[in-house]
This record gives sequence, C-alpha cells and structure tokens, in this order.
Amino acid sequence: MKLILPLLIAIPLAASFFIIAGANPRRTALWAALINLLASLLLFSRYDLHAGGWQFVSEWHVMPKYGINLILGADGLTLTMLLLSTLVTFAALRVAPKIAKQEGLYYVCLLFISAGVIGAFSSIDLLFLYSFHELALIPTFLLIGIWGSGDRQSAAWKATIYLGTGSFVLLIGLLALYLSIPANLRTFDLRQLEQLSLAGNIHPAAWIYLVLLIGFGSLVSLFPFHSWAPPAYASAPAPAAMLHAGVLKKFGLYGLIRIALPLFPEAMQQLNGLLLLMLIGNILYIGYVTVAQKRLDWTIGYSSVMHMGYIFLGLASLNLIGVNGASLLMFAHGLSVAAAFALCGEIRQRTGTLDYAELGGLGKVTPVLGLLFGFVALASVGLPGFANFAGEILVLFGATAYGPIMMIPVVVGVWGVVVSAIYMLRAYRNIFWGPLVSRWETLIDITPTARWSVILLLAPLMIAGFYPQFILRMAGTALHH
Amino acid sequence: MSTVAWITLVSPLVAAALILLVTRSSKPLAAGLAILSSLIAALGAWIIFTRGVDADFHGFNWVDFGPSFTLPFGIALDPLSRTMLVIVTSISPLVFIFSLGYMKGEEGYCRYFAGLALFLFSMLGIVLADNLVMMFIFWELVGVSSYILIGHYFQKDSAADAAKQAFIVNRIGDFGFMLGILLFWIATSTSTTAGTISFAGLNASAGNINPAVLSVAVILIFCGTVGKSAQFPLHVWLPNSMEGPTPVSSLLHAATMVAAGVYLLARIFPLLSASPEAAEIIAWTGAITALGAGLLAIGQDDIKRILAYSTISQLGYMVTAAGLAVSAALPMFHLFTHAFFKCLLFLSAGSVILGMHHEQDIWKMGGLKNKMPLTFLAYCAGMLALSGCPFFSGHYSKDLIMACAWDHHRGVFWVVVIAAALTPFYMARQALVVFFGSPRSEAAKHAHESPRVMTVPLVLLSIPAIGAGWPFIEHLFFHEIGPLAEPEVPGFVPLVFLGAFVAGIALALVLYGKAVKDPLRIPLLENRFYIDTLYEWIVANVQGGFARLLAFVDRWLIDGVLVRGSATIIWTLGFALRFLQLGNIQAYAFFFGAGVIALIYVLLTVH
Amino acid sequence: MPTLANYLIASGLLFAIGLGGVLLRRSIIIIFMSLEMMLSAANLSLIAFSRFGLVSGQQNYDPQVLVFFIITVAAAEVAVGLAIIVSLYRARRTTHVEDLDHLKF
Repeated sequence: MKLILPLLIAIPLAASFFIIAGANPRRTALWAALINLLASLLLFSRYDLHAGGWQFVSEWHVMPKYGINLILGADGLTLTMLLLSTLVTFAALRVAPKIAKQEGLYYVCLLFISAGVIGAFSSIDLLFLYSFHELALIPTFLLIGIWGSGDRQSAAWKATIYLGTGSFVLLIGLLALYLSIPANLRTFDLRQLEQLSLAGNIHPAAWIYLVLLIGFGSLVSLFPFHSWAPPAYASAPAPAAMLHAGVLKKFGLYGLIRIALPLFPEAMQQLNGLLLLMLIGNILYIGYVTVAQKRLDWTIGYSSVMHMGYIFLGLASLNLIGVNGASLLMFAHGLSVAAAFALCGEIRQRTGTLDYAELGGLGKVTPVLGLLFGFVALASVGLPGFANFAGEILVLFGATAYGPIMMIPVVVGVWGVVVSAIYMLRAYRNIFWGPLVSRWETLIDITPTARWSVILLLAPLMIAGFYPQFILRMAGTALHH
Repeated sequence: MSTVAWITLVSPLVAAALILLVTRSSKPLAAGLAILSSLIAALGAWIIFTRGVDADFHGFNWVDFGPSFTLPFGIALDPLSRTMLVIVTSISPLVFIFSLGYMKGEEGYCRYFAGLALFLFSMLGIVLADNLVMMFIFWELVGVSSYILIGHYFQKDSAADAAKQAFIVNRIGDFGFMLGILLFWIATSTSTTAGTISFAGLNASAGNINPAVLSVAVILIFCGTVGKSAQFPLHVWLPNSMEGPTPVSSLLHAATMVAAGVYLLARIFPLLSASPEAAEIIAWTGAITALGAGLLAIGQDDIKRILAYSTISQLGYMVTAAGLAVSAALPMFHLFTHAFFKCLLFLSAGSVILGMHHEQDIWKMGGLKNKMPLTFLAYCAGMLALSGCPFFSGHYSKDLIMACAWDHHRGVFWVVVIAAALTPFYMARQALVVFFGSPRSEAAKHAHESPRVMTVPLVLLSIPAIGAGWPFIEHLFFHEIGPLAEPEVPGFVPLVFLGAFVAGIALALVLYGKAVKDPLRIPLLENRFYIDTLYEWIVANVQGGFARLLAFVDRWLIDGVLVRGSATIIWTLGFALRFLQLGNIQAYAFFFGAGVIALIYVLLTVH
Repeated sequence: MPTLANYLIASGLLFAIGLGGVLLRRSIIIIFMSLEMMLSAANLSLIAFSRFGLVSGQQNYDPQVLVFFIITVAAAEVAVGLAIIVSLYRARRTTHVEDLDHLKF
C-alpha cells in the first residue's frame, strides 16, 4: 500500500520509456493512465477518514543533513487532487487525435506531465514539490510548440518563459523560507514545518509570503500575472490544454494551501487586502475581457483565468468554509475546464475554426456534442447540480464570514456569476443555436470515444454537485486549522 | 409521510433522467414517463394536502462542517407549501396531456418532455424547500429548465436569443437574491451560534436583526422576485419567452415558475412585514409593473404577447399585495386564481394557434368562435376570470387586493385601480378580434377545433378558473396561511371596480367590435416604452464597450507593455551588449589587462 | 650594488614593453615574442625575489623552481601557439591579427 504513490509516478515514466523503445504510443499511454486511474480510485476509497492526516507515506533519504528527502504521502486533499489528475489524464489521452508527426514524443510529453503532476501533489518535501512541477512544465513547451495551432511558437515561448520566471520566484520564496528557519532545525519536510509553526519556533517574514504568493500566483494566472494563459490555451492541442488548465494550474493553489495557510497566518492576514485586490482583478476585469472575446478557445482560456479568482477568494477567507470551498472548486473547475477544452478540440477538429462569426446552428447536425457542451457550459456557469456551484457558494459563505472587508469581493464574486453566464451562453448560442450555416451541414457528431471521455469527466462533476460531502469530507481532513 | 413527500419531489427528476438517458428516441415512452411522474406528484400532493401534514423532513446534509456550518436539504410542509403544491401539481398534468396534442409531430419531442419533467422537479423543489439555499438551488434549476424549453426551437434566431436573455436577466435578479441570502446568514450569526438560512429560523429571528440590515436584505431577496416574476425593470424576458412552445408558456411563464417569486415573498412574509421600508418599495414596484404592463398589453398584436404582458401585470398585482404586508395569504390567493385562469387562457391560445396552423397575429384571425366553440368557451371563462367579472375566481382575489390597498396604501390603490380598468379592455380586445367578426385570412377560414386530448384539459381547467375564488374554496386553502378578512371599504369602491369592468368591455366593443385592423396605434406602447431598445443599447454599447476596452487594455497594456515590454528590454540589453564582441584579439587582451589592473587596484586599496 | 627594487623595476619595464607589444603589434609572431617577453619579465622578478627575499636567514630557492616551471610551460605554449599560427596562415593567408575578426558581432 505504501508503494502505490511512487508507483503512480513511476508508471507513466516507465510507459514513456517503453514508448521511446518502440511500443505503440497511444496504447501504452492509455494503459498507463488507466492503471493510474484505478490506483488513485483505490487510494481514494482506502483512505481512513477517521484517522485523517498523512497516509500511504514513503520516504527516501537524499540529503538528510539539509533536510531534503523524497517523501511521498497523501491526505484527503492530495487524494482529491490525484483523482482529478488521473481522471483528466485518462480523458485527455483518449481525446487525443491521430498524430501525424512524432507520435511517440507527443505521448511521452503527456505522460511526463502526468507523472510530474502526481509527484507534485503527493510530495511532502517542498523541494521535490517544486521539482516535480518543473518536470510537468517543460513538456507543455514541446506540446504547444510542435503540435499546437495558431500562433503556437510564440505562445509556447511566452508561456514557458513566463511560467519559468514564476517558478524561479517561487524557488526564491521556498529557499527564503528554508533559510529563515534556525540552522539546526532546517528542513523541507512539510510535516516538520507545520510542527515548528505550531510550536512557535519559526516566524517567517511577511515578504516571504508575498514572494510565494507572486510565485504561486503566476503559476495560477493570478491577476496581473495572467498574460501567459489565454494565448497558451488557445494554441495548445486539446489534451495539453486539458492537463494544463485542469490540473497543472491547480498546483499553485495547492501549494498555497499547503504552505501559506499553516506557516504564514499573520502574514496572510496582513496582506489579505492585496490578495483581494488581485482576485477582484481576476473576476471582474478578466470576466469582462472574456465577454469581449469572439473565439471559443480564447473565451475558455480567459474564463479559466477568471474562475481562479473564486478559488483565491476561498483562500483569502482564511476559514474552514472558504478553504473547503476552494478545494472543492479546484476539483470541480479542473474537471469542467478539461471537458470544455476537450469539446473545444472536437469542434476545432471538425470545422477548423472556433470563430463565433463562422459557426452557427451546430446543434442540428451534432446534437450529442451540443448536449455535452451544454452541460459543460452550465457547469462552468455555476449551475446547481454541478460541483462548481457547491464550491462557489461555499467560497462566498466563507468570504462573508471573514469580515466587512469582504463586502466588495463578495459582491464582485456574485456579479461574476452573471458575467460568466453572459459569455458562456453567448458562446453556446453562437456555436450551437441559430440557423445552421450551410458550410457545416456535413459534420459528424462526436465519436463514442470522445463522448465517453467527456462523460468520464462530467460524471464525477455531477456526483459531487449532487452530494458535495463526497469530496468535502475528503478534502476537509487536510484543512482543520 | 416523508416518503410520500420525497417521492412527490423526486419522481419527475427520475422521469427526466430516464428520458434523457434511456428513451431518447421513443416518443410515446418519453411523454408517458413525464405524464406519469406528474400524476404521481399530483397524487402525493393531494395526499399531503388532505392529511394536513405539518412537518419538516430533514433529508440529508448537502454540506456538513459540523454545527458551525451545514447546508441541509429538507422538505418543509406547512399550509403555504401544501397549497402551492396543490396548485403546481394540479395544473402540470393537464398541461403535459395538452402537450401530447400540441407537440404532435414536432421536432425534439423527447427533449421537450424531458425539459418539462426537469421543470416540474425543480418547481416542486422550490415549493418544498425548507431553507433559502435549497430554494436558490431549485430556483436556478427552474431557470435552466426555462432556458431549455424557451430554446426548444433553437434553430430560430429569435428563440435562441430569447432563451439566452431569459437566463441572463434571471441571473441578474439572482445576483441580488444571493447577496440577500449571504446577508441574512451573516446577520443571524453571532459569536456563539451559527447563522441560519432556514425559513423557520429566519422568520423567527425577524425581531433580532438590525432593522436597516433587515430592510436591505429583504430588498436583495426581492431582487430574485424581480427577476423571476418579471417585475419592472427586469420584465423584458417574459414577453420574449413566448418563443417557447405554448404549453411551456402556460405552465412556466404564467402559472408556476413566474409565480415562484411571489411564493418566495410569502415564505419570508414575517421578515417582509417587519421592514416597512422594504414593503413600501415592493408595493410600488408591483404597482408600477401592473400599470405599465397593462398599458403595453393594449399595443400588442401577437396573441401570446398580449397574455404575456397580462401575466406581468397580474404578477405586479401579486407583488403589490405582498408589499401591502397584510398577510401572506393575500398574494397567494391571487396566485392561486391566476394560475388556473392564466394557464387556461394560454392553453386556449395554444389551441387557437394550432387551429390556425401556427399563426399568432390576432389580426389574421377572426370568427373563430364558430370554428372552435370549446376553445372559445374556455377562453371566455379565463377572460372573465382575469377581468374580475363577479362570480368568477379572479374577481374575488382582485377585489380583496383592491380593498386592502384602499385600506393600507392609498397611492398604490389608485395605480392598481387604473391597471384593473385596463384588463377587461385589452382582454375584450383580444376576444373580439380573435373570436368574433369574420375570418381575416385563409388559415382562419379553415380553422377547426383541436383534438380531444387538448380540449379536455381546457374544460377541466375552466372549472377552477371559474370557481377557485369562491369563499369555501378560499377558506379551504388559505385559512391556515393567513387572515383574509375583507377590510371595511366605502361602498363606492366595489362599484368603481365594477364600473371599470363594464367600461373596459364597452370601450373595447366600440373600438374593436367591427375592426379589421387596429384603430389604436400608439408607438410608445408598441415599442414597449422603448425599454427593450434601451437595454439592447446598454448591452451592445456600455457593456460591450467596457468589455472591448478591458480587452484592449489586457492585450496592449498588460500583455504588450508589461510582458512583451520586459521581454523587449532584455532583448535590447542583449543587443547592446553584443557590441562588446569586437572580434579583435588585441581588444580582448586590452579589456583583460584593464580588468586585472582594476582588480589589483581594488584589492590593494580596499583595506 | 643593484637592490631588489632595481631588479623589480627592470622586470616591470620588461613586462610593460611586452604588454605593449601584445596590445599594439600587428603581426601575430611579434605578439608571441612579446608574450615570451612578459613571461621572461615574470621570471626575472622571481629570480630577484629568490636572491633577495631571505626566509629565516637562508636563501629561498622556491622561486627558482617556479622559474623552471614557467620556462617549460612557455616552451609548450609556444609549440602549440606556433602550430595554431601555421594553421591560421594556411587558412587565411595572413599573419595580421586585425584580419582575424570572424567572431565579431
């Protein structure tokens, strides 16, 4: 049991190895992803809710003198994120179209992202947390640059360098945190850091929190560090966009929950105003920028940036309700945006365009695609019945409970729901409703493979939407401060 | 009994899910499932009503963080929800069965019934919810059912736009609603007890909340009503929702869904009556809506739009009644009678439309009373009830509202009386133009009565349309909800009312008795006070302009100046440094030597 | 009697002449000769220190050992350097250092 987490990381890497050695790329990758999905479901069900805390822990000593060791473990929040990652990976691999050039490298990149993400979420050691994230980041450069569409090369460069800079800032923050601990107690082990913080032995300065916030924030496209996201998602091939927007982006928020919340309580309170300003930028400013978009890929890209504002609002509320809501929203948004990009890719494959002016009336010829997209659109708009609503409403309650300073962010947050309805329904109406444009009369509806991949993503979304406790009681074990 | 309640709630959802997943192409099965679920719900509702069950069934905790925060899912059965349950579940099966005839041969048949079933589930959820969050959830679900059903003929641009508009305008109302919920929650939470969002808890703590906060919170919750019940200024979506199939218009956008806003006000009635400022605003909003919509109904030529504006006007009455803060039963009584006669009117309009082969312009109709006698009689029953003709249901509920208005709020009374005078006028106009005279088009000449599957529901609905206001029925349904005693009014008031009724019909006879085209052309009314044009302008220019401005800022300032700018700075730096590579060995040697000398100098002079 | 200072000044002058030659002469062979001159200057100062820098009363022989190292290294360096010059001449047909500017921006 203990070894399942390392296996979850090792299996995609081993599969990559097999692919490089010549095995069928798509099949090998799909098998690896399926095994990972089943393993993470197994872990999810075997987690002991009463005991809580870190379970399935495995440790390898690397540099014990400096407190750097490869420690993998999972608590409720980790398992939720792992479930998200494995679901999206499997769906993304299934939705991948036939690749003409360098198919092996394509699947190897996707598998590396999967391994990196799993490693990042299950690392208890901060340095390895960071390193696994870097492992997951580099393949996106290749994916966008080689197999992307549109202005892919400049998008790939911009995204990678921007995210690399953000990671670098994050590294500075982590090292500063490490160095602020008295020399004999220094460690990167999160569990020990939490103990030290509770015991009052470490008081990291507020500026370290700011650096961490900016570092993690750029990884999550926090306003104003968001410019990399829309072009990257617009140009990325669908599986890459699904993995990046759905899973990789959540890493920054996960990092903040793990590191900032337990270790920087006063700093977070002090700098909460700044965070609130930034997330209002995400929700309101980016929300209206999304309204101005005329293409589906840009709309979804900007909309995913907008919804990060809500998760940050949950974090900023600094209470159980808000942070739980943020965790649920991470899970929900990951699934819904992955489904959105999957369907976006399907539309692009069939029509070659995602421009609202050129599409129209597709609901007649591709009804199932339309139905699925309708579900995804309504989920992202925060319709009850999908987990997104549950997450958002908890975030709003949590924020309200914080204090009067939250009045404006909460009003902005609720208005953001209206704005997201505006652009999402406009997208749906312009693509699927209205008279059928004659160019699209011969389109084929969505294939069963893609159909079931999207349903695989939508089903947990609806289950958690009808019964959020299912996810909340898991994620909640991690968050009892 | 809790099982009965839960089955009543859930059976339409099961039907909707089955239709969607299993029976996608079998038309009779889809319709059958939907109708069966509505009958089960109706049966459950009547069992609950006749037993007089008063209970709060806790279902499960949707979100559970312990005593400090839970969001429960529960069913509240009390006189108010029992009566509303009966209204919703009695009308629904009739509309479902009517749809069998109306939607026969139409595209998207199964999708239609799935949508209706989903709607019924959501509406029952609103009725049975025991707390604000649960009601909000079903409120949104009702909105999405409406979106699906209005957009049924989605290949028409007008229908697609109407559905989108309905959803978004409702969302704007829900913006206020959500803020109201949060405000109530935080206002009722102290350092020791958690905030409450249950109706029982909130209504009980009406006295403990700061009055200013209470008023603001009630107004915010009222925003939800303004959106859902199409009050001014969020009324624009309801006439456009007529793009949906007529049974949908009758069930959702006349009888039940739009009435949910009034039901909400009745649910929070103790809070409403505890804040006079909020009640004042509510009463005036309702009155203005009633008058404005009544005026607009005069200028419409589409048979459904006349009824749509009439619905908005009647909802205005209900909202005004709530704002008078007399009793929760006052608005509910009019909701009750209105549901029956308005649904009847829409269904008979549907019968007319079907008979006219989907022609909806009243000026292309005429003389239909001989071609479609049953429809005509049903229509008359509804029309007389709506106009407040004595003995018919509408008379009793409208009269009561007038009397209470006279007693409590004279200003609102006069506005509402004028609106009351308009109703018989535009309804008689419609009756005369559609059913009397001679046929004005080919379709009208060949119109025929609708099949029995449609006329039977019409006849069945006529019964409550006539009798729902009679005293013993009113007593049966409302005596537990609140007092409905008619206040003392001077004798001339009912006479004014009666006179308005007669005058309206007489004026209509004069103007429209023999008319072939509309003698009354008022551009202001035909263009709906230009409010729709104003909103379109705001959306395109204010919102669109703002969005475009921000997109520009994002693309050129944040992305261009900051991101690409910093990249450009680094590139320029690199470009400048390039010039140090002179390629000349001796130059390199010189730099090397100079550097060494500088280093030696620094090392020797630093200490 | 020449003192340490005299030898060091001579060495410095020699070094300066050599440096000037490296920086200012056009022919690559002359530059090499100037480089050798700089190395000889360093050798001279080392021997001067060996002769005059007494460590605990005894004459210090360590610098003289270092001188041998420098001579050997210089010889090796010259060998390699001249080989490079010969290759360069064969490729470029010039011994003027100004003509070798391929690595210019």
